[in-house]
Amino acid sequence: MTSVPVSAQEQPLVRSKLKSKHSILGLIILLLFLFPLTQLITANNLNYYLHLMLFIFMYIAMASSWNILGGYAGYISLGHNVFFAVGGYFSSYLLLRDGYSPFFTAPIAGFVAMALAFLVGFITLRVRGPAFIISTIALVLVFRIRLDNWERLGGANGLKLPLIDLPVEQIKFPFYYGMLILAIITVYTSYRIRHSKFGLGLRAISQNETKAEASGIPTSFYKIFAFAISGYFVGVAGAMWGYYLTYITPSIFLLILVGAQMVLMCILGGRGTVAGPVIGAIIMIGTNEFFLSEFGSSELNIFGTGAILAAVLLFFPEGIVGSLRKIGRLPAILDWD
Amino acid sequence: MALLEVHGLRKAFGGLQAVNGCTFNVEQGSITALIGPNGAGKTTVLNLISGILKPDKGRIVFDGHHIQRRPPHQITHRGMNRTFQISLNLEDMTVLENMAVLSPVGGMRGLFRPDISKAERERALELLAFVGIAHLAHEVTRNLSYGQKKLLDFASLLMADPKLILLDEPAGGVNPALLEKIIDRVRQLNDQGITFLIVEHNMEMVMSTCNQVVVMAYGTVIAEGTPQSIQNNQTVLEAYLGKVAS
Ligand SMILES: Nc1ncnc2c1ncn2[C@@H]1O[C@H](COP(=O)(O)OP(=O)(O)OP(=O)(O)O)[C@@H](O)[C@H]1O
Ligand SMILES: [Mg+2]
Repeated sequence: MTSVPVSAQEQPLVRSKLKSKHSILGLIILLLFLFPLTQLITANNLNYYLHLMLFIFMYIAMASSWNILGGYAGYISLGHNVFFAVGGYFSSYLLLRDGYSPFFTAPIAGFVAMALAFLVGFITLRVRGPAFIISTIALVLVFRIRLDNWERLGGANGLKLPLIDLPVEQIKFPFYYGMLILAIITVYTSYRIRHSKFGLGLRAISQNETKAEASGIPTSFYKIFAFAISGYFVGVAGAMWGYYLTYITPSIFLLILVGAQMVLMCILGGRGTVAGPVIGAIIMIGTNEFFLSEFGSSELNIFGTGAILAAVLLFFPEGIVGSLRKIGRLPAILDWD
Repeated sequence: MALLEVHGLRKAFGGLQAVNGCTFNVEQGSITALIGPNGAGKTTVLNLISGILKPDKGRIVFDGHHIQRRPPHQITHRGMNRTFQISLNLEDMTVLENMAVLSPVGGMRGLFRPDISKAERERALELLAFVGIAHLAHEVTRNLSYGQKKLLDFASLLMADPKLILLDEPAGGVNPALLEKIIDRVRQLNDQGITFLIVEHNMEMVMSTCNQVVVMAYGTVIAEGTPQSIQNNQTVLEAYLGKVAS
């Protein structure tokens, strides 16, 4: 009973903190929206930065999407790049055949990826732990072999796509905004799930599946549904990414490394936290870019990124957000859980 | 009237016939004990009833519904809830979250409502207070003591307003004061109309709390009746003593 007056006192404080947090996040998002426009006013060429940022946005979306299954429910998928590929091929094919812009077909590509995730999840989510991980790797290999030999989709050489028809100083704009909006929607979805009954159930599943089931949670349904949602955003990202690159090949999407990237970002930032994948994506792409510019595209840049990852995990075993929260040092601006 | 009917239940693990034609009833409003030597198959029977395991043969009727082929979550939704012999908790989640998980979601539409509503929070705190651990509500469950986890297990069941509660050794490893508390809470809830099926080795608890006793040995029911009649039953004594002697 003594807890009532205390929480009543805390309430206004919490609310004002929340308000300032929201306004800071809102401001950041606003600046991100305005940033490309400065290129139109000033003579600076920002295309390199736009490229880097839209790449980060894309991975924020993909890692956050992965986190819905891999973080909340605890099912590690190394095969999420299959949804990336499916989204890319679906929209590219429609662009070449009927001339539909991938920006319009991307949401549909997401649903195609989602349908595939439903199907795959129905089969593979019966097993857990290492068996599940291996089944997702197998999925990548199956799709790689299939696409390499699918002549209609260009086989191993892939497909060449038409360039988007815009002047060079604006050519990255649609992709920048597309990826930014995708990242915002994905993180928001992840946030909503984290604070819903569905998210609570997924977290229960990650802790103890028998207990979750006995508590009344339809665990199979939850897992498959989570898998499907987490496939969706990766599919949408794939659709835009193919168009951006102006060509697609199986090897762009279906390297084990691409799937592993999402996992590593989540682990680095904090698996199962809302902000973790965001932080993880920024740091990982940021450091990789730094080493690339310092040492060029050599083994050194991979080594450097790996060393940073190892060092961070040594000090933040539960990822940056996860570990900071545990010791009560997480800045309020990153506390979205 | 029987709330739960178990009929001809069988379950084998490989060559081991853990449950071998088990039949008994749990009467509406009763506190029924399920006792028997170690390895008699009691926990397996609870796992079969709650749907965690599927029977090889046999029938389980709960509240008028055949549930032997139903998944556990559906059985839970019908109004049966259980604890596990070794406390199963969601260790990295808070006590409050552990409580909230048991609260019915309400189908697809409830899926995206807030994880813990105000009403659920209040109900959870009330139930935690009922077993005396309300002060731990925001603690991570991992940090609770053995006994506190047992109390949490017990309190969390009530979030779902069950008709039947299955307890697997609630007194196991629990100090006398805590046991007293658990017994008292079971009685109170029983007065409110909740039926109990309790697996227990502590005879003091069985004799003082339960009004019906089912005795198992080697996977079958060897005796059934009131605590008094069981105490004087020759077969039961032999089953227990035989176990001790070997
Ligand atoms: N999952 C399992 N796999 C294989 N054998 C099992 C399994 N579960 C139980 N058994 C076996 O079935 C028999 C009955 O076990 P059960 O746990 O039901 O006994 P119990 O009556 O609950 O015993 P206790 O009082 O010691 O808890 C035992 O011989 C046990 O070894
Ligand atoms: Mg047992």
